[in-house]
Amino acid sequence: VIQKKIRDVLVAHGRMAVNAGEVDDQADLYDLGLTSHASVDVMLALEDAFDIEFPDEVLKKSTFASVRNIEQVIQDLVKAVA
Amino acid sequence: VISLPTEVDGHRIRVGCDVVPFADVQNSLAAFGDGYLRKVFTTSEIDDCQGSNRAHGLAARFAAKEAVIKVFAEPDMAFPWREIEVTRDGPLPLLRLSGSLAERAQQQGWRSSSLSLSHSDCHAMAVVLVVCGAPESD
Repeated sequence: VIQKKIRDVLVAHGRMAVNAGEVDDQADLYDLGLTSHASVDVMLALEDAFDIEFPDEVLKKSTFASVRNIEQVIQDLVKAVA
Repeated sequence: VISLPTEVDGHRIRVGCDVVPFADVQNSLAAFGDGYLRKVFTTSEIDDCQGSNRAHGLAARFAAKEAVIKVFAEPDMAFPWREIEVTRDGPLPLLRLSGSLAERAQQQGWRSSSLSLSHSDCHAMAVVLVVCGAPESD
């Protein structure tokens, strides 16, 4: 369920050349066309979708490098809120 | 064949650059408004970018922030964008670092920096040059 929401956000805001709904969850999103600026939009949309806030310490390139990485960070943030 | 030195007179030179389309900034403003501004830009930067060329100024500042991140050359480091600020001294844009990034720059031996901003009819770009002395020992 988390991955589905992440992929929906990437499709809407990632502006990548490929369909983010179908990419491998470990594929490098930057290699697939995710820009640094688009990653800001992805982060803001994920904050809305999951009702979380990305703290400064997770604002790393690696956080947004793959669907799997994003999922891991969100799981940790959701756990911290609960 | 020559092997070029990575430092001159004990000083290393580091360069970073980035390009940002104005349209990307306009889309972010339309989709996220103040949430986008507050996450990425300082109050002073937001104040400096008003009027009809707002997206141009914001795009140039975002490009500068990304150029600085490239100068750090540490992909696993956290980069809160608001800790990198573009200020002005008359016509010259200047960089100001704060918080964790200011500390890290000190550890890497950053001595001075130079920032250049430019734009075409659809993109902004930034080049950052940093002169480093010896890094602080851990």
